[in-house]
Amino acid sequence: MKKIFSLLKACMTSDMNLFKVKSKKKSKQSNNLLVAFLLMLVFMFSIFSNVNNLFQKVAEYHLQSLLLVLFSFMTSLMVIIEGVYKTGPLIFNCRDDQLLLSLPIDRKLVLFVRIFKFYVFELIFNSLFMIPIMGAYILWADNINSTFYLTSIIMLFIMPIIPIIISCIIGLITSFLSSKFKFKNLTQILLSMIFLLGILFFTMNLESIFEYFKNNSNSISDIIKKIYYPSAVYLDLINEFNLFELIKFILVNIFIYVIGILILNKYYFKINSGLKRVVNNKKVNVKDIKIKQNSKNNSLIKKELNIFFKTPVFIVNAGFSLVLFIIMSIMLCIKFDGFMNTLGSMEGFIFLKDLLENNVPLIILLLVIMTSFMTSITSSLISLEGKNITLLKSLPLKTKDILLSKIYACLVLTTPVLFIGDIIMFIRFKIGIIPSIFILLLSVLLPLASHLIGIIINLKYPKLDFENSAEVVKQSMSSFISVMLGMLLLIINYVLVFITIDIFNYNIILFLIIIFYLLLDYILYLILIKKGVKRFNDLTI
Amino acid sequence: MIEIKNVTKKYGDKKALDNVSFTVNDGDIFAFIGHNGAGKTTLIKSIVGIHDFDEGEILINNISIKDNPVECKKLMAFVPDNPETYEHMKAIDYINFICDMYDVPKDVRRNNIEKYSKIFGMENKLNDTIDSFSHGMKQKVVLISALAHDPKILVMDEPFVGLDPKAVFEIKEILNEMVKEGKIVFYSTHILDVAEKLCSRVAIIKNGKLVKSGSMKEIKGDKSLENVFMELEG
Repeated sequence: MKKIFSLLKACMTSDMNLFKVKSKKKSKQSNNLLVAFLLMLVFMFSIFSNVNNLFQKVAEYHLQSLLLVLFSFMTSLMVIIEGVYKTGPLIFNCRDDQLLLSLPIDRKLVLFVRIFKFYVFELIFNSLFMIPIMGAYILWADNINSTFYLTSIIMLFIMPIIPIIISCIIGLITSFLSSKFKFKNLTQILLSMIFLLGILFFTMNLESIFEYFKNNSNSISDIIKKIYYPSAVYLDLINEFNLFELIKFILVNIFIYVIGILILNKYYFKINSGLKRVVNNKKVNVKDIKIKQNSKNNSLIKKELNIFFKTPVFIVNAGFSLVLFIIMSIMLCIKFDGFMNTLGSMEGFIFLKDLLENNVPLIILLLVIMTSFMTSITSSLISLEGKNITLLKSLPLKTKDILLSKIYACLVLTTPVLFIGDIIMFIRFKIGIIPSIFILLLSVLLPLASHLIGIIINLKYPKLDFENSAEVVKQSMSSFISVMLGMLLLIINYVLVFITIDIFNYNIILFLIIIFYLLLDYILYLILIKKGVKRFNDLTI
Repeated sequence: MIEIKNVTKKYGDKKALDNVSFTVNDGDIFAFIGHNGAGKTTLIKSIVGIHDFDEGEILINNISIKDNPVECKKLMAFVPDNPETYEHMKAIDYINFICDMYDVPKDVRRNNIEKYSKIFGMENKLNDTIDSFSHGMKQKVVLISALAHDPKILVMDEPFVGLDPKAVFEIKEILNEMVKEGKIVFYSTHILDVAEKLCSRVAIIKNGKLVKSGSMKEIKGDKSLENVFMELEG
């Protein structure tokens, strides 16, 4: 037992420092923790405010418990997807493999500790969503009894168990495949994109989904009951508490956990040791290899793009907003009239319909703004260098060039996609030359601002020592702050556009925004090459 | 020529390097030895421009690393103790990337890549991604990329760690060849018998201070380098 606790303590302390940034001062570290905690609260509050509206809406039909269970089902799905990312560094490819496997402890114990650590991560992730969702349910539920609280607290702890076992098994299969065929990245990217587009589809079709709910509430609960056992139990326990059912549910989950460990144990170590083997059997002689020569800048940009395309979590994070932009551009082209009619039929929005109908270039602008600030690609680019920061510093390069290459690489990714979407909409809506040029210009200036902000923030909050890229791309302080700042800029832009739309012609609005972003980009550029360069030079690992 | 003049580097209050001065001449194979944490890596990283230092000056062929780091770095190649590379890249792409940074012409890089990949037995591995390599193979990729741009000064931190005996033999041959051409090889090591046989000059550092520096003959006299080192360590 002592061994288990020592092992757990060692493993947990090395991995739970998600928000650790490079700082030696204790007070600074506690400040960082406080910021991280506040950001979590902000995140939970934003979830709460979003789901609160939905609960208010379904309260009319008395479907609150069904919505709660549906959300718990969706959160479990998210835990599975998020979990598949995490199985790589937390379960497979662990850095402490050699150390732990050489110790005189049962291998099952090593696996148990790793899965338990994984469980703790997913428990936090699950709680970030479920606590605000449960809070909103409590506000809008028709009647709440004390057993609801007991059931929900137990559910909070029990619910991640089945998803993590499923994630581990998916991780095991993808690890097995990647050790053979090397397409783990593609599997992860496809799964994540499908899931994210699923959420998008869900939110875009809320109205019709509610109607469907209203008409088919019994069959929906039947479907959930059939496909996901924990949600079915949760629904039953909310409606009618049964202690025997609850105990049975806890035991079933413990049983699944143990069986999961036993199944994984059978194949885990075999597959895990195979992961590090050289799998490229195709021998290519050096004479047959094409030797290419590039300029320094091109080579640096190529290196950045290489990092991007070899990091699935990065592709999904950055690529989603771009994919969304193209989808929304096409949707807008096809369903513009329908969209305007819906807007016109909504009370209080008729004025908006008239405004937007006469200012289509501004709709395109709003889409470009959203795409530019929805995600921050550059906010993890410095951190992702990790230990290679030493290598970069030893090369005969100006720091300014290293930093700018990261910006250029991101522009190479975003600009063509934005231009394609823009041009599709220009053709469909017969936009004039001047607004078209203005929008194309803004399709460079807006992402440029987002990229500059991201890299400046990342230089302020680097995380060079990390276990896996997901930790840097999705969970670091830098990405949190950059996304928040991006959201703030997005809101400011939207508000400014809606305030000025009535006063100025859209060409003037576009022109003013261009001037604003030219200035902002220039100021951010100056900050980058003055403070950013110094900051980069001071970075050590 | 590398001139290290009164270099001091502090981490907080602790002096990692304390007024260190010595010179490395063209054609030298220079061994830099000291116990763990003595300040070897700190000085090496200062020479190659990775770390800044608080006092003193480091000149590379009369150019200050502080004032003109890019020009200095163009003359040097650095091989770290732990092979830090872009692991998701293919070995050939990584080597090409380093060559691009040093503006190496296509024909020169082809000749050098062919030459050194054959020497290190990596000619069939260059199309593989680095993350599939062992520590030693990664170190070989770093060595090939360092040598591919014909550096005038080769700075290495524990270069023999993780290399197989054949690779160690080959690297020693390459170093001898380089110094015959008047180039500089500066490296830190704990393998004292290799340093004794290979190096023309040596410096010993202890707790950030240089305790001995000179030609190998002057430093060791009739004793072995190991004995001298143990005496100094007290």
